[in-house]
Amino acid sequence: MADLIDRPASAVTPVSHAITPAPSAEVAVDKLLTTRSPQRPQRTPTFYVEIDGQKLEAFEGQTILEVCRANGIEVPTLCYDPKLPGFGACRMCVVDVEGCDQPSISCSAKAEPAQAVSTQTDRIREIRRTNLELIFSDHNAYCLPPCQNKCPSHIDIPGFLKANAESQFRESARIFKRTIPFPSILGRVCPAPCEDHCRRDEVDEAIAIRDSHRYAGDQVLKAMWDEDLDPPVPFELQPKSGKRVAVIGSGPAGASAAYYLLVAGHDVTVFEKDPEPGGMLRYGIPQYRLPKIEVLDGEYQSITRLGGRFECGKMLGRDFTVADLKAQGYDGVVVAIGCYDTNDLGIPGEDADGVIDGLDYLHTAALGLTYPDHEGSRVVVVGGGYTSMDCARTSVRQGAKEVTLVYRRDMKDMPAADEVHEMIEEGARAIFQAGPTRVVTDAKNKVIGLEFIRMQLGAPDASGRRRPEPAPGTEFIIECDRILKAIGQGPDMTWASVGAEGVATTKSGRMKADAVTFQSGRDGVFGCGDLRNGATTVVASIADGRRCAYAVDAYLKGLDLSEIRNRQTLAEPQPEFLSIVPFTAEVKEPRLRLKALPAAERKNDYIQYEIPYTKPEVMAESTRCLQCTCEAIGFCDLRRLGIEYGTTLKTLEKEHHGGAGFRSITENRWTGANHDYLRDDSHAFVLREPSRCIDCGRCANVCAEVVGAACYDFMRTGFDTLVTTPLDMSLNESPCVSCGRCAETCPTGALMPKPRILTKYEVDESRCILCGICVDACPYDALRSGFDFELAHTDRSEPMIDLIALSKLERTSEATFIRGEANWENTVAGRRYDPARQLPVLPQSLRK
Amino acid sequence: MKRLNAPKGWSQLLFVAPSEPWAALRAAAAAGAASTTATLIASGLRGRGGGGFLTGAKWQAAAAEPASQYYAVANGYESDPAVFTNRLLMEENPQAIVEGLAIAAVTVGAREAFIAVRAEYTEAIKRLEAVIASAEREGILGATLLGTGRELIITVRPLQGSSMIGEETVLMKALAGKRGQPEQTPPYPSSVGYLGKPTAVNNVATLAAVSWILNNGAAAFAQIGDTAQPGTVLVQISGSVTNPGVLEVPTGTPLSEVIAAAGGTASGATIKALLAGGPTGGFIPANLFGSTPYSGAGLQNVGAHIGSGALLALDKTVAIPELATMLTRWCADEACGKTIPCRIGTRRLAEIGQRFVDGLAGPDDAERLQKLAADVTDSALCAHEALAPSPLLTGVRYFAPEFGPAVAASSATPTSGRS
Repeated sequence: MADLIDRPASAVTPVSHAITPAPSAEVAVDKLLTTRSPQRPQRTPTFYVEIDGQKLEAFEGQTILEVCRANGIEVPTLCYDPKLPGFGACRMCVVDVEGCDQPSISCSAKAEPAQAVSTQTDRIREIRRTNLELIFSDHNAYCLPPCQNKCPSHIDIPGFLKANAESQFRESARIFKRTIPFPSILGRVCPAPCEDHCRRDEVDEAIAIRDSHRYAGDQVLKAMWDEDLDPPVPFELQPKSGKRVAVIGSGPAGASAAYYLLVAGHDVTVFEKDPEPGGMLRYGIPQYRLPKIEVLDGEYQSITRLGGRFECGKMLGRDFTVADLKAQGYDGVVVAIGCYDTNDLGIPGEDADGVIDGLDYLHTAALGLTYPDHEGSRVVVVGGGYTSMDCARTSVRQGAKEVTLVYRRDMKDMPAADEVHEMIEEGARAIFQAGPTRVVTDAKNKVIGLEFIRMQLGAPDASGRRRPEPAPGTEFIIECDRILKAIGQGPDMTWASVGAEGVATTKSGRMKADAVTFQSGRDGVFGCGDLRNGATTVVASIADGRRCAYAVDAYLKGLDLSEIRNRQTLAEPQPEFLSIVPFTAEVKEPRLRLKALPAAERKNDYIQYEIPYTKPEVMAESTRCLQCTCEAIGFCDLRRLGIEYGTTLKTLEKEHHGGAGFRSITENRWTGANHDYLRDDSHAFVLREPSRCIDCGRCANVCAEVVGAACYDFMRTGFDTLVTTPLDMSLNESPCVSCGRCAETCPTGALMPKPRILTKYEVDESRCILCGICVDACPYDALRSGFDFELAHTDRSEPMIDLIALSKLERTSEATFIRGEANWENTVAGRRYDPARQLPVLPQSLRK
Repeated sequence: MKRLNAPKGWSQLLFVAPSEPWAALRAAAAAGAASTTATLIASGLRGRGGGGFLTGAKWQAAAAEPASQYYAVANGYESDPAVFTNRLLMEENPQAIVEGLAIAAVTVGAREAFIAVRAEYTEAIKRLEAVIASAEREGILGATLLGTGRELIITVRPLQGSSMIGEETVLMKALAGKRGQPEQTPPYPSSVGYLGKPTAVNNVATLAAVSWILNNGAAAFAQIGDTAQPGTVLVQISGSVTNPGVLEVPTGTPLSEVIAAAGGTASGATIKALLAGGPTGGFIPANLFGSTPYSGAGLQNVGAHIGSGALLALDKTVAIPELATMLTRWCADEACGKTIPCRIGTRRLAEIGQRFVDGLAGPDDAERLQKLAADVTDSALCAHEALAPSPLLTGVRYFAPEFGPAVAASSATPTSGRS
């Protein structure tokens, strides 16, 4: 054998066959039998092929795909399993070989000397995309659940709800912190777009997603305040990079950017113009919605505990410029100063005494001050967002005699529609479909009223809401002393004029920064949050801050940001989903609503009026989640390729659904009949979801060729072909050996190791007779023989409990009696004897 | 289906039983493999199964492959459910087929050979087995091949299952009792065939010609029909013709002459198109009948192919979109389900076709049809998949007005069939 592996140098030169001719024919035959099969000789002649312009070494007998893989050239495959020869079913590995009419299938085609191969021509990519679209057109499954899809930050909602249901609240908060660092803040102030799309809503009512993460976040805060326990960190902290980043603005976007930059190992300083950090969270949102000390300060400790610093009272443009920061040695600057300039009403008399900026008003209230002369006044609030709501409800709390909120559209089109009933309960009044036209003033230019005109609803605008149009002749006046303006805000960009050359402003007066790389025109200066997007929700700002942090991290590592932009542009748009509610035997269970203090009590007070869940309540609510996520989401080859080849972009074909594009991943150019199969969870360890099967045949081949059990095969013919068990029988009936190779090789989520079941097992050591059956039977090797043939078992929460340690405890059972560890007679006579503990014993449920 | 008498001047050889049985086999065994393959290459005989490879070259490749075992297989599994040319040939001239297979086996060095036949062809099986049995009794085949110490066991293997078994890589697996799905070629069965060994696989019509060539000489064969692909082809002509039946047609005969040989059109009917090649075939409009020779290259030029040898004459009562869609749907349903473009793509083609039939086609459907057909063909694993778009493609190409105004308008742009 040795001479075949290490041939003498003289024999190497002109070799045309894999095997060197040996001197004696008989000896050679013997050697062939032992060395040729099953692997090719280790040393075979090499030659060069050209792949994508690179000259690469290849061995005789290697396929083109093997050469590509060995040299780090990406060729997509779905049906290829490295353990087996090329199968050629998915047709994704097509490559262009110069001189061939038809594309070659690289998993089967052998590399040949002087071949010129291209793996990424337009034609090849077109074929691959058609293939993927064909798969998707018969892929009756979904990737992200709609709640996660609709969340601006794409939180793993089923994930944290599952942790909640298991009462693993720290784990729940950790999952949350992967995309948003502040579960408690968002648990109070988020408008929860996720809940609007919850599929449980089609069974009974949407899950209280927001209130559920609020509970988990509060548990983390409580542990931090009471026991000084650090909040969980979502990812492993990266080693210190030595780079310094300045974040300007400590609102949701800035704080979020700071948090993920700290996790990435950078040194972060946050500059804040106000005396305390928090931005709008502190100075825009009232105390009764977001308690400042317990919650806001607590959540912000997750930044300081990671080493972040806040420098308050320093304002960009007043105290320093961007150029100053660079001079101070900051490697990157993130500007996230938000929107603080309230939009003008644009009507006569706006400069009158008594017309107040809503944000100023809230800012004063947040400092604990009552606005001068507010008590007893008649207040009109103009606007329909959360700021207007806060203005109205704070005015009620400050003793205004009469509070009227006026909004120009209908109530259902109001951004803060979910809060308006609480405001009305507290005694404020709301008028819809009316717009201000003129401030009525007295001789001293003091407000005495505000004139409105009725609005009628016209055609829908870009936001899908009907555009309000004034109805002539319907003017009316509301008499008042105060007018609070809350019709949106814009950013203040005056800082950009000095020491920030290169930073540009958009037409709408916002900072110009790339939507993916967050770069401004100035090197190393990034912009995110409301400053870039205009006033949005807290959750959208936090999502923006997180993405910005990743861009800054990539910048500091010297990566090519334009390449990241290409990747993300493809990855970001998510397909929308048809609401397919699986048949479920779920018991109808209405949502557990948060209780609130009575309006009469809460209207005089700033204390938080919602009464949070108790532990049993939050667990019960979280258990209602249908867990409609694909278990394979993180490692599905089909999804990865779908994103890479843009097959899930809904913008591809605009004519669908009146220009809205495609609604589900099964919709594309080839949409047609598709299959919907039933899930099979009868097997203990392998979950089969045939709707996610793409018929690549990997499981069938691995099971037959590697394992030898042959549980699966291609069944039926034509379009209805499905890789499944004979007669679709349960895997339990098949020759399955529970090895899990099928689930391991499955490129999608059609075959999965069965998800953990929420059941918990308790081992009663006192009744163990050390038979060892559990050790033999456990498929996960969680139980094993310990010292002296004691049993050791592991538990998810407590990694190792050794029975030896437990045996030292004084305990009595039949097992200890048998081993003579206790005196039988004494014990029977004494207090320790418990007949219920004697074997054999029936389960508790059967005992009566 | 009955056999039709050929017009005067058409060479006829496939149904002619050898005047001296086993003479060709003896000659081949005496002359040796190199001589046999050289004769066959000189004759220009190409496979009649569809691939069109030179039979002699195929055998040469199989014989040159180093292996411990070799096999020869006669493919008599007629895939096209409406064509019976092979059945007729096996029933009427079993001697030539068995002899041709024995020559193939001797040439590549096989000790075992099979005739794969549709299990429904009970009469053909009976007659083939009778020839084999008598040859074994006479010591020509069996344990002592031609009285030598070598053995050659020929077995008739009735097969049942899908139409895909006609595909040679599928046939190899069907014979071995494996899942009936095609394999990526190369390697061809001539190097990795039955049980992974080099195998000479030939259509029964090819094998029937082999004994004729050895008896009558390569030069005589090379003169018949189109010199680029000489010989005769079995054609089953049916539909709106006076005498439907099976004809032995010299290659290169114009389609108009083939129709005339079948007695011309049935009374009162005008043929508007021929469907050539069975369910994966292409439509040929009447104005091309005179200029299109019946040969592999001639039919490929107009988007059709010889395939199963079927010619279906269609008169004006036939709606092309409906028939094309029905055929595509048949191809989709008969697909083995291995590759994605075939399993889903052919079905989607049929769905697009159905939209044309129902008048529900969108403005993009004509373009989608072309695009999908091109992608399915280009990433095809076997001929079934590569040819399945042909009926719809040729339908749109030659009968665009029947597919609706949108297609008619876009038919000005040239479309390409598979060549």
